[in-house]
Amino acid sequence: MSTPANYTRVPLCEPEDIPIEVKRENEIGKLTSKKYLHKVKTLHGVPLNKPTIDTPPYYISLLTYLNYLILIILGHIHDFLGVTFQKNKHLDILEHDGLAPWYSNFESFYIRRLKMRIDDCFSRPTTGVPGRFIRCIDRISHNLNEYFTYPGTTSMCLNLSSYNYLGFAQSEGQCTDAALESIDQYGIPSGGPRTQIGTTDLQVRAEKLMAKYIGKEDSMIFSMGYSTNANFFNAFMDSKCLVISDELNHTSIRTGVRLSGAAVRTFKHGDMEGLEKLIREQIVLGQPKTNRPWKKIIICVEGLYSMEGTLCNLPKLVELKKKYKCYLYVDEAHSIGAMGPTGRGVCELFDIDPNEIDILMGTFTKSFGAAGGYIACDKWIIDRLRLDINTASYGEPSPAPVLAQIISSLETIIGKRNPGEGEERLQRIAFNSRYLRLGLQRLGFIVYGTADSPVIPMLLYCPSKMPAFSRMMLQRKIAVVIVAYPATPLIESRVRFCMSASLTKEDIDYLLRHVNEVGEKLNLKLSSGKQSPDGKCQRWDIEDVIEKTPEDCKDDKYFIL
Amino acid sequence: MSHIPQVLPTSIPIPSFVITAFSYIWYYLSAILTRIPGGPYVIPYIQKSHHDDPYRTTVEIGLILYGIYFYLSKPQQKKGLQSNRPKLSPQEIDSLIDEWQPEPLVDPSVLDEQSWRLSSIPVIENSGPSNHVNISRNDGKETFNDLFNLSSNNFLQLTSDEELVQVAKKTIKNYGVGACGPAGFYGNQDVHYALEYDLAQFFGTEGAVLYGQDFCVASSVLSAFNKRGDVIVADDQVSLALQNALQLSRATVYYFEHNNMQSLENLLAELTEMEANDKPPAIPRKFIVTEGLFQNSGDIAPLPELTNLKEKYKFRLFVDETFSIGVLGETGRGLPEHFGMIRASSIDVTVGSLATAIGSSGGFCLGDAVMAHHQRIGSNAYCFSASLPAYTTTTASRVLQILNTDKVIVSKLQQFSKMVFDFFVNDLDLQKIIKVTSFELSPVLHFRLLPEIRKAKFNYTAEELFETISRLQKRNATTKYIEPYENEERFLQSVVDAAIKKHGILISRNTIILQHETLPIVPSLKICCNAKMDEEELRKACVAVKDVLIEACQN
Repeated sequence: MSTPANYTRVPLCEPEDIPIEVKRENEIGKLTSKKYLHKVKTLHGVPLNKPTIDTPPYYISLLTYLNYLILIILGHIHDFLGVTFQKNKHLDILEHDGLAPWYSNFESFYIRRLKMRIDDCFSRPTTGVPGRFIRCIDRISHNLNEYFTYPGTTSMCLNLSSYNYLGFAQSEGQCTDAALESIDQYGIPSGGPRTQIGTTDLQVRAEKLMAKYIGKEDSMIFSMGYSTNANFFNAFMDSKCLVISDELNHTSIRTGVRLSGAAVRTFKHGDMEGLEKLIREQIVLGQPKTNRPWKKIIICVEGLYSMEGTLCNLPKLVELKKKYKCYLYVDEAHSIGAMGPTGRGVCELFDIDPNEIDILMGTFTKSFGAAGGYIACDKWIIDRLRLDINTASYGEPSPAPVLAQIISSLETIIGKRNPGEGEERLQRIAFNSRYLRLGLQRLGFIVYGTADSPVIPMLLYCPSKMPAFSRMMLQRKIAVVIVAYPATPLIESRVRFCMSASLTKEDIDYLLRHVNEVGEKLNLKLSSGKQSPDGKCQRWDIEDVIEKTPEDCKDDKYFIL
Repeated sequence: MSHIPQVLPTSIPIPSFVITAFSYIWYYLSAILTRIPGGPYVIPYIQKSHHDDPYRTTVEIGLILYGIYFYLSKPQQKKGLQSNRPKLSPQEIDSLIDEWQPEPLVDPSVLDEQSWRLSSIPVIENSGPSNHVNISRNDGKETFNDLFNLSSNNFLQLTSDEELVQVAKKTIKNYGVGACGPAGFYGNQDVHYALEYDLAQFFGTEGAVLYGQDFCVASSVLSAFNKRGDVIVADDQVSLALQNALQLSRATVYYFEHNNMQSLENLLAELTEMEANDKPPAIPRKFIVTEGLFQNSGDIAPLPELTNLKEKYKFRLFVDETFSIGVLGETGRGLPEHFGMIRASSIDVTVGSLATAIGSSGGFCLGDAVMAHHQRIGSNAYCFSASLPAYTTTTASRVLQILNTDKVIVSKLQQFSKMVFDFFVNDLDLQKIIKVTSFELSPVLHFRLLPEIRKAKFNYTAEELFETISRLQKRNATTKYIEPYENEERFLQSVVDAAIKKHGILISRNTIILQHETLPIVPSLKICCNAKMDEEELRKACVAVKDVLIEACQN
């Protein structure tokens, strides 16, 4: 840290020297009262209703478009002036030495001129465990986020940004012990591809345990969630197969399907009638040009959509799949562990036998505090896939500490390790999610998604309100995630609260008070009352919310399911 | 007619009833228009324009009407499809739907024939991928203890050191295991940035970007920087990771003969000429894609010639160094160091793995700052996936530090590699059976049966195999089971089995999935050595492998 240039580097932070109790409390807050628990009830196979989407007043939409228009015009002026007068600063978008630029002016416009302005709200470096609190490394932005400098200090923020649904992001406790032990036993590296040298008995154990937990015959574990999807579809799909995909499916699924060469048709998010119409049409029409029937049709959905907080309509999907002999693929990246009475994902939430679904996929990054992904199917399918999936024969397998973390956190959830702890975590996340969701709704914010979703997207609309919200929350020591186009529709910029079992009720009170205050300043209380069951416009006082919501949120009648 | 304003000039001979009708319409329209805010300004304008050029009004009205018609009519495309569609009655539709019988989700037909592949996967029992392992196979029905491990990709074995174990443990005690979020959303921790700086510094590039898994780096990076119309020239024996990358990139891909610089130059010259004739409005992005140390054959790319050619023809060079990093060059800095070149000036994009010689997990991409920066937004596998567990980054950082100072470990690995290579290449008996394809310093020794032997034993050639597989791929056959190829694989597996059973040596086939491979490939066996092996044991193992090979070929 001697030369000034070094200040632009993220410094390596020493762990804080704090007593073990404080550290534990920072990672997962102790439950303050038994009242703040909620046991999720299943929906008993009842299909979902059509979701009600609250829309903001017209002037907000208009302002949002205007906001983008101004940004785009300014950006183009900026580009024009820059390329004309400051060539040396814009080498990245100009041809030089006969080489094309890495990216064209047009492709990167959004990134350079729009996202760049709010870059300080993304990729905030952190250190330590992303538990109840997250230690963000302070940074100072220079020249409109062109570069950052780091004074070397950190601030502890309330963590609503990590996918730490069950609070397994911890650096002590049974899971950490298991991970540490596994290093002694199996070492750090993973050897090589699964089919050559990479399979360990730990892996076999984790796969069996996972399969049993989900309720499938067998499962397969991969070292990265994204690549589980991205390298999965080409193992059994080709250009004579059809994928019917929800329009909001994750990029990894799209990449995977594209690699397989299968044809893709999309249906509107959650639109089951549209889906049925599409399936019928596709079975009748068959492949384009040749009109031969499709070899197989697979419906791809996500269990819980991480940008919307909405569920897939599983009962209806299962019904359609059976009726039309399609296959169903459910990506439970966000729902496994976090939803359902015992954390077994959307199948359990809807009370549907997992064997009704052909392929269940999920990740370990979120609820389990590990890394990687899995696929669970019938045994004969997995046996085939073990030979046909790329990553098993060419990629790296999951390393031992990650597997140990998966096994130990799973055993905690099912109550095999520390009986009672897993149950408490599940009930805490359920209570926390509902409390925050209902609290925000009562304060008058527009919130998307279903009652039990641990992802709670709150709508901001104007692009300029995103950095404002994020920065104001950071000042109040709360770390939140903002998302905008292209992850969401252009005008529906939002902030996404990721709930965690490690937060206490008091943390959420703190959060609600500050969101209320900031929301008032930024004019974010826009709900029309469409989303509350009684249809009335809600603008509760913050004290009332905190007083009444903890009890009310356990009751389904306050939510539109 | 006195109360009706005159709107049309009298010079045009128009039937009087038309004028009357239009006049009435205009009168009432203007009455409405004056009430609308801004109306008083619009009406005089229309009046004036109509007065100056009455035909213009007609044309404009026609245009407006056409616009309304166009807006209300269905898009042309839809119409086209509908007209093609046969008119079916609801009953016919129902029966068609009823009739449709899908294929099973995965093809079960040859599972029995291929079940030997499943049962031959070794499961390491209770020990890390170190030099001596216990394995079980076939669901625990066979167990073998204390095998000499000649198939680990962990070439330097640095992460088995007690010091590295302590680094990993300390990190887990401070950071937990998972990072619980993608890089953009608080997932990147200080240790991730530190490793990126370390990688950039170690390899002498401006930037480095970390990925969660080595296999998906190439496909994510290439597709972030290519679109339709861009040009990629690739070696025709690149690994599957790169084949996927080429497919996902959407660029136009041309192949040159494996490591044949003349073939590459001809191709580049031709492409340059084509571009000169086409005169595109902007230069397309152009890449030469190759591997540092080839995954399927073990030989290395001639970097000096590649660099010359890329500079001459204005291409960028993309090299997958998954297997050459930590292996080639005096300090393990990979291909450029091996040829005494500087990475930053010779290779534009490098992708590599932390899971091979470095002995941790994950992958990375090296290049200039602009490219690294753009990847953080444009590369899917980086944006949409969680960051690596913290402990993998700290151990990798430490390994790089060790490599920086330790000059012994890499040279030791190279010495072993050379020893194994010499043994297999110079042995007169083996020369009659196998062909070693790898480079002498490659820690993975690849060898395959000689074409004559393959022809005699299994009755097919590499070209025939490629033709068959391309034909099956073109036909989109679900089952891609090719018997002679399968027989050869089984034969190689019997060699592996014999080595395990008779000599306690664990070697492995190069496990390829034929149905994914789009480039010519033949089965091969591989022997991996690492820097922490005992020289005498390795020598013995080589002799043992030779024995099993010769014995198997005599049967």
